[in-house]
Amino acid sequence: MNIPLRNKIISFFVIIWLLVFYYESTCGYYLQPLFKRELPRMKFLFPPAGWIMFYNIGDNFSYAEVYGVKDNAPQLIDPHQILQTRAIGYDNINRNALITVLSPGMSDSFCPFLKRKFPYFDKFLITYVEYPHLSEQPFDKIQTVVYTCE
Amino acid sequence: MNKIWNRLFLEERPSIGLSFFRIFVALTVGLHVIPSFFHLDDNYFSTAFKTFNTDFFPALFIEWVQKSPDLLVVFFVIAFVITWFCFLIGLFSQLSCILMTMCCYYFYALNSFHIGTLSWDILLVTLFLMCITPYHGDYFSIDTLGRGDLEAWQRRRPFFIQRLLQLQIASTFFFAALYKVTGEGNWITGNPIYYLMNYPAQGVTKHFLLKEWMSVHPAFCYVVGLLIVASEISLPFLLFIPKTRRVGICMGFFFHVLLVLTLDVPSIFIFLFPAQMLLFIHPQRIIDWIMTKRRINALSPRGKLLFDGDCGFCRASVRLLQVMDLWGKFEYAPGHKGMSEMVLEAADGKIYGGFFAFRQLVWSVPMLYGMIPVVYFPGSGIVGPWVYRWIARNRHLLPVFHPSAMRKCH
Repeated sequence: MNIPLRNKIISFFVIIWLLVFYYESTCGYYLQPLFKRELPRMKFLFPPAGWIMFYNIGDNFSYAEVYGVKDNAPQLIDPHQILQTRAIGYDNINRNALITVLSPGMSDSFCPFLKRKFPYFDKFLITYVEYPHLSEQPFDKIQTVVYTCE
Repeated sequence: MNKIWNRLFLEERPSIGLSFFRIFVALTVGLHVIPSFFHLDDNYFSTAFKTFNTDFFPALFIEWVQKSPDLLVVFFVIAFVITWFCFLIGLFSQLSCILMTMCCYYFYALNSFHIGTLSWDILLVTLFLMCITPYHGDYFSIDTLGRGDLEAWQRRRPFFIQRLLQLQIASTFFFAALYKVTGEGNWITGNPIYYLMNYPAQGVTKHFLLKEWMSVHPAFCYVVGLLIVASEISLPFLLFIPKTRRVGICMGFFFHVLLVLTLDVPSIFIFLFPAQMLLFIHPQRIIDWIMTKRRINALSPRGKLLFDGDCGFCRASVRLLQVMDLWGKFEYAPGHKGMSEMVLEAADGKIYGGFFAFRQLVWSVPMLYGMIPVVYFPGSGIVGPWVYRWIARNRHLLPVFHPSAMRKCH
């Protein structure tokens, strides 16, 4: 390929890339509030929420706990037995991967998954655990059953 | 304006840094995705518990991927492993990168539960840029051996991909800091480090030496938080200004080591980001450094490799060694007629033959570092010489796999 043509193609690509990259980086948290409306987003490439690494950490912490019930006696299931895939260099459970199971509609797929993995139990309790004020009341813990897998 | 644009993106500079970076991209992708293959029934088969990233993929695409039968999942697993390995070793670098990235998208759309994190999205941006050109296969690759170019390590390419990768990592730092202090970010109004230090055992904070102490010293935590934001904001500038670049890279490395030691963060933070910061080193500096090492080695006593000069296969193999011998550590010379194995006369006067000569070579040739575990694997001292002897006996029957050596052979 001749060099001037190659340079034109590269320049075109770089300009488009930079425009899209910085548009997507600022869209969710800056451009949309500025224009007060939903702006078109590009699928398939950029982090949808922007580069929000640890941007908002509150004084509370919540996670999911799963109990297996056998003969009416609930028993906590180690989350590492539920999510057995081991990531290299970090623990996905500590990154709160299981909290997803509390989202609405998740019971439809999570209950059959639990029944397949733990046939020993009669039913399962999916609970939401929250520490509302970590720094002031570190032992104040609220736990509620979100749904039951019969 | 034209001059600046040219210097920023179009100027041809050595691509060896990008080739080195390819290895880290491949390792990061592999470390992230391959563990999920050990539990296909939990992660990808019809029995899996799945979540979908509908913000990243159009709903139609997710629906389409969900129709995959388990057999197709197995096909994609095999395709991923093959293309990933090809990308790692630089065999058909660009093609393998494209196919591997397609597999990554497939698994991400199939189930985002295990692999779908913000850092994975960032990695996909990097992969997309790597797919654009074959420049990352210019060195440290099988593709280089195929070309047989002895000067491959100083091959020059337009700089735009490396520059865009630099901008990506710098912007990641910058925006990560900006989000922390504006909008919903609470690093000024709250005390995130203090909260993290008080997280229960189930949380993202690891147990480290100062954790207990920090959990009761909110003022110290607040200052640490501000320092982190200040570092993230300043890193892009430190990295782009030539005079402060070295400080920026060291600071970036330190920052990521601290992150990994204190928090459960995905492997991309330690395997990809530090390597991406090395892309800020001016490629010409790398070439100058290599040239200096080659000059020093040329003037010092060097190992001498003697081979059968009558055998095309041997000449082709030596040619490949010359391509891989980045530091110019060896001299290559035809030995006596009909020699049964290659002989290495080491710089310290020791003589090694056949497989054991090869064992010595792998320590000095960077592209052979990956062979170190293989040639020192328990039992290789028995199997290795046997395999070597078999190849040596049949060397005149083996194909001459390098065209340039073949031409010289006849």
